[in-house]
Amino acid sequence: MLRTLAALLLMSTTALADAADGEALKAMTWDQIVEEARGGTVNWYMWGGADTINRYVSDHVGAILQRDYGITLNRVGVADAVEVVNIVLTEKEAGVTDAGAVDLIWINGENFRSMKQGDLAFCGYTDLLPNSALVNWDNPAIANDFGVPVDGCEVPWNTVQFAFAHDSAVVPQPPRDMAALLDWIKANPGRFTYPAPPDFTGSVFVRHVFYHAAGGADGLLGPFDQAKFDAAAAKTWAILNEIEPFLWREGQTYPNTVAQLNELFANGEVAFTFNYDPSQFGLAVQAGTYPETTRSYGLTDGTIGNTNYTLIPFNAPNKAAAMVVQNLLLSGTEQLEKAKPDVWGASPAIDITRTPAEVQAGFAALEGHPSVVPAEELAKAALPELQADWLTAIEAGWQAQVGN
Amino acid sequence: MAAYPALAGCPLGRGKDRGHESDKRPTARLVTGRTHPYWLLAPALLLLGGLFLAALGLTLLRSFRYMPVLGLTEPDLLAYTAVLTSPGFLASLGLSLWIGLAATVLSAGLALGVALLLRHSFPGRRLIGFLVQMNLTVPHVVGAVGMLYLVSQSGVFARLAHAGGLIDAPGQFPALTHDPFAIGIILLYVWKEVPFITLILLANLQSVGADHEATARSLGATRCQAFRHVTLPMLRPGLLASSALVFAFAFGAYEIPLFLGASSPKALPVLAWQSYTNVDLAARPEAAAMAVIIALIGLALLLTYARLACPLADRGRNAR
Repeated sequence: MLRTLAALLLMSTTALADAADGEALKAMTWDQIVEEARGGTVNWYMWGGADTINRYVSDHVGAILQRDYGITLNRVGVADAVEVVNIVLTEKEAGVTDAGAVDLIWINGENFRSMKQGDLAFCGYTDLLPNSALVNWDNPAIANDFGVPVDGCEVPWNTVQFAFAHDSAVVPQPPRDMAALLDWIKANPGRFTYPAPPDFTGSVFVRHVFYHAAGGADGLLGPFDQAKFDAAAAKTWAILNEIEPFLWREGQTYPNTVAQLNELFANGEVAFTFNYDPSQFGLAVQAGTYPETTRSYGLTDGTIGNTNYTLIPFNAPNKAAAMVVQNLLLSGTEQLEKAKPDVWGASPAIDITRTPAEVQAGFAALEGHPSVVPAEELAKAALPELQADWLTAIEAGWQAQVGN
Repeated sequence: MAAYPALAGCPLGRGKDRGHESDKRPTARLVTGRTHPYWLLAPALLLLGGLFLAALGLTLLRSFRYMPVLGLTEPDLLAYTAVLTSPGFLASLGLSLWIGLAATVLSAGLALGVALLLRHSFPGRRLIGFLVQMNLTVPHVVGAVGMLYLVSQSGVFARLAHAGGLIDAPGQFPALTHDPFAIGIILLYVWKEVPFITLILLANLQSVGADHEATARSLGATRCQAFRHVTLPMLRPGLLASSALVFAFAFGAYEIPLFLGASSPKALPVLAWQSYTNVDLAARPEAAAMAVIIALIGLALLLTYARLACPLADRGRNAR
């Protein structure tokens, strides 16, 4: 009876991927795809929390698309890419196979795994984009998204690496490695906290402690291993429970989101904030939210880096136009434009040595914001991301053992 | 019956005699004589059936772990057992019940006092009435931001306390937001719902008029007795109905506990949303199960309200 009801409610549960549209495109040349894309509208769902990024996408990229390709770009801001995963998933359940609401998603990591898990991504087309040649697909940090092979299902856009921010007028000599940070927290009660996982940023902070407890990331790479997890997790929870009484509000509560942590930092309640995208610190200083004396840095034992991507859902009604957007975003000039600190300050996902000389000169001439630690400096000690199964296990373990 | 606003109506079809009353009216006969009432109700029913019931049905299916798109085709109750036995669930349920109950009782009590004061005329009454009801137009989230600016440990009051030499550091100011007792959340709901209940009660008071109370007083009742035995029973349907709405909202709303709540325990709707946005698609059935549990509690509330409100509503009418 349930099934009859389901069939009634869902109209059709035979949600087969719309092969025709996507497969036809894959057989075309790039010029034909650009022609096909002309006049189309691309609904790009992306995290909408930074005005500068929104402006860059809507005004700058949108104008070029309209002028050169006749494509209308419609940016749809969301708080978390998982909301878009839910939209596409619901559409698939409802049998919407070629008229989905979403043409393009800014995505990575666990949400990319969800899209693959639910067969929700359009795959196997990325070689068609001419600018795909600028991407170093041999780099495992590009070819794998949080340990999950990209498999031609998404196109890299930016690379980021985690960094801490502090007010140099308040803490002139911040702790430079994890062991020193843990000591600092105990010596300065109430001046540090981190967002409660599963918050994206809180989760990555906990992973840094997890790496520290495990004696480095090397033993943790590859598929999930329960025995290795149990050993490292026990030490991690012990460390985090040990520092808990010294955290903000004596660790009785944690910020729910990174935005809340940023607020605490801006108000001087805590001495540190941190972010996966250090350019955010410069933007906050420009906006007057953080003090001018804000500085950022990585840890000598390394901070975690990753790549973020754009992805076309299986049921995107405008795949051709979305591909043109992806190709434009990958171009040397656009990667340079968004790398400018006053535009966004995002590190490129392409291999700069493969770009024309003037683009390379442009990258060389970039002057960073004083509050933003240069990407080259962070890259000296970079740590890889773990596969998604590790992440979910760490988040669940934190909730059960630390944040209860 | 015209004395009672629609909100004070008797749910679940208990107000039978009321139907007779309205049938006797010429306008009512005119409408029902020509057109079947179901046709007139069609737009509302379509909305209810198409959007609400279909979504409820889908949520039920998901909660029974029936999601063909994920390869789940054998319905079972595992999502419910997982939710009910998960360590944080009971604490979250308790917190949400506490928020709903405390916010409702405080709002209803304050609103009753405000409404009784505002029905008398005194200089500046209109201005005070306007001020009391002004924040009806302010969205909850905006109110929450304001609450954060005012009473958080780095908010305006904390800064004033610092300037006045009462505290040295933000941490010394009492934790009123993100606190284990949900004080910030309850404060916000009280601030927001007092005007709402006041509005309903003032409308009630206006239609009831002062005659009944005056009659009671002339027959020798004290002010207190007149209030307890005459005014309060006549206000009770409106008070109960608006309180039920406030409870259902405070119990089921997600954004305020997320914004002003502690990280643990989380309010039930926050827990459900967290499960719904879990990166593992296989966790969706648990989110649906939690939503169904929240809905069931809401239904239980509605039934309790119906039992409480209807006999009283009848009594109130008979008293006229």
